[in-house]
Amino acid sequence: MPFLEMENVSVGFGPEGTRTEVLHDVNLTVEENEFIAIVGFSGSGKSTLVSLLSGLLNPDKGEVRLKGKKVTKPGPHLGIVFQNYSLLPWLSVYGNIELAVNQVFTDFSRAQRKEHIERYIEMVSLTPARDKKPSELSGGMRQRVSLARTLSMQPEVMLMDEPLSALDALTRANLQDELIRIWEEDKRTVVLITNDVDEAVLLADRIVPLTMGPKATLADDFEVTLPRPRDRTTLNTDQRFKKLRNEIIHFMTSMNKEAKMLRVDQGLAMPDIKPVDFTAA
Amino acid sequence: MKFKILKALDVAGLQVFDPVVRLVCGENPKEQLRKILLFIGVPIVTFLVFLGLWSYMAPRHTTKAGEVPTPGVVLDAADGIWTFHVRENQKAQDFLLDGGNRESELASVEARIMELEPLAAAAREQMETLESESKAKIDEQVGPLQAEYKELRTKSREDGKTREAALIAEADSLPVGNAAAREAFLTKVAEHAEKSAADKEAMRDFKAKIEAAYTEKFPELEKVRGEYNTYEEELQYLSKRLDYLTGDNQSLKISDQELKLDELQAAFLGAEGGKATLKAAEKVVKQKEAINRIADSEYSRPWTFPRQIARSVWCVFVGFFIGSAIAIPLGVLCGLSRVIMAALTPLIALFKPVSPIVWLPIVFIIVGGFISDPEKAVVHPAFLSSAITVALCSLWPTLVNTALGVASVEKDHVNVARVLRLGFFSRLFKIVLPSALPLIFAGLRISLGVGWMVLIAAELLSSSEGIGKFVWDMFNNGSSQTFAQMFVVVFVVGAVGLLLDRIMIVLQRSVSFDGAPTAI
Repeated sequence: MPFLEMENVSVGFGPEGTRTEVLHDVNLTVEENEFIAIVGFSGSGKSTLVSLLSGLLNPDKGEVRLKGKKVTKPGPHLGIVFQNYSLLPWLSVYGNIELAVNQVFTDFSRAQRKEHIERYIEMVSLTPARDKKPSELSGGMRQRVSLARTLSMQPEVMLMDEPLSALDALTRANLQDELIRIWEEDKRTVVLITNDVDEAVLLADRIVPLTMGPKATLADDFEVTLPRPRDRTTLNTDQRFKKLRNEIIHFMTSMNKEAKMLRVDQGLAMPDIKPVDFTAA
Repeated sequence: MKFKILKALDVAGLQVFDPVVRLVCGENPKEQLRKILLFIGVPIVTFLVFLGLWSYMAPRHTTKAGEVPTPGVVLDAADGIWTFHVRENQKAQDFLLDGGNRESELASVEARIMELEPLAAAAREQMETLESESKAKIDEQVGPLQAEYKELRTKSREDGKTREAALIAEADSLPVGNAAAREAFLTKVAEHAEKSAADKEAMRDFKAKIEAAYTEKFPELEKVRGEYNTYEEELQYLSKRLDYLTGDNQSLKISDQELKLDELQAAFLGAEGGKATLKAAEKVVKQKEAINRIADSEYSRPWTFPRQIARSVWCVFVGFFIGSAIAIPLGVLCGLSRVIMAALTPLIALFKPVSPIVWLPIVFIIVGGFISDPEKAVVHPAFLSSAITVALCSLWPTLVNTALGVASVEKDHVNVARVLRLGFFSRLFKIVLPSALPLIFAGLRISLGVGWMVLIAAELLSSSEGIGKFVWDMFNNGSSQTFAQMFVVVFVVGAVGLLLDRIMIVLQRSVSFDGAPTAI
């Protein structure tokens, strides 16, 4: 039995009549402790997909199931790392994680909680910034806090909604390495949503492209067979990495072209005429 | 150290003084001097211009209560208010002094009186000579004027009489029925009336001249008179102090009565026979009661202005507290539930614009219904009514801001709460309230400002002791001195309001996670 699955899920927004279907007939299965990446263009419904998986949004049709049970509402077992961090600005790094830990591990003693929180702060290398407020941290550090908060809940599934796309390239690479390290350390089921193919190939076991919206759906997946642990420096010269990346990029861009062509077809119909050379006569 | 001070200034909203601190620390003096000139120099110049305009314009308008006071006069009035306060406090203290303290105070008061009396006498003498001199001067000016005036008056009377006689003579010989001749006569009579009126006008002008001479001011005399008055006032105050240090002193009164008590007790011990013993016993009991009464008695201090300020500040905080205690929970409910918001919106919209002047009489009567005897009540009903009026008028900004803050919690934070499955109360206290806090405090700050303005009007109407009542009393008094004191009130009310606002800014900034950029 698959760990997490989506079956014929469709969802749309807007009032009856002018309703646009964002996701149409989406099917996805994720095995336990699998790291999958969903790649898609912006505006194709990636965040909606996360909301569906986490239970923040209920589908119009179809079902989302975790371990065979239907997901109807969000909970700490479905941890989300939000794109814009969603840290509470009036709480310190410690306080933000503490809020989550207190809510999830109600049977922990005070000392146990403290140890637990500090372990996760340590895991994302933020121990020196333990008592800082989010406004005093850089974007990368904030996302680490958000990551630590989600990890500290020890969720069954970790949903990451473009966690690194708001960061600059260097910080991004840095955090990707960190993500690999943490996942190796603390293996759990992860669904990573991203718009960066390199990132997906580097991190995931399987990559699922999301087609262009509206009425987006998931295309056939790509297995990533690269051996772990992966290292970005050696990966860059790896032929298999290059091949896979190019395949995916080719697939995505062709999808983009297709979409553009579709749009052109809907344009003005031109008259079927040819110029005639009258001078020859 | 430097950064600590800068941080404190920043939190207090006093960034104006930032360059001063930096200059003292020797940081880029040229730049700092430029900033000081701009942020401190320019406001000072503006204020000086304001004072200049005020001093120029004030004396040019004369009212029932004398000229509009100039800044100098207002400053003197402020000084007078303060002196009165200090002296009243001293008297209250004197009343309670006993033993060696009393004696030493008494000695110093007597010494001061000895010192002042000759000064006062000298001032008086000087004043009297100056007065007679100035009187002579006035007489010198007025004497000839008055003689001239008399001459003028008799002349105009005589002229009038001769003109009248001539007219009567002419009227005697007027032919009956001759319309033209009678018409000509009418013109003559009109001319006569005109001449008399002109004479009267001239005499009135002359009289005004004489009066102006009487009211001529002699600055030297005014100065000496002022000095003499100050001496006299202080002497009067000292003689009052003398009373409180001697005859009216609490401890002296008690010891006097205790001596009597001893006598009575001795009499009671030696008393023989039923009736006499009872009488003696009754006397002892009565005497003991009298002593207790004296021991409990207090110096009845008048409401000096500083005490009224303190009372007003206390009242505004009581009202503000009542208002906030209503507004914050109600605002939270409105923000959380659309139903409650919809239910309350018409009430809020209806009552928000109601003026304090309308609320106060209603509140006054309602509170009066609960408190029948104002003298015995724990809280004076006038005070309570003022506080409730402040609450009613000041709760709206807090209510609206709280509702807005609670309703506009960021969606991401709501999602966090959903993922964590926070219960109602943890969601309220851990997510909703902290995120609404900056807006709530912004509302509280506006509320306190409104409350302070409302309070003065409420006190004025309800005559609850406070700044408002002070203004009302000063207005009813209507002398030039009290007129100046009303100007002092303007500045005091402004300064206290500013201070309250600053306190709220510091509070607002200390609870705001975003640094409250709007709180300046």
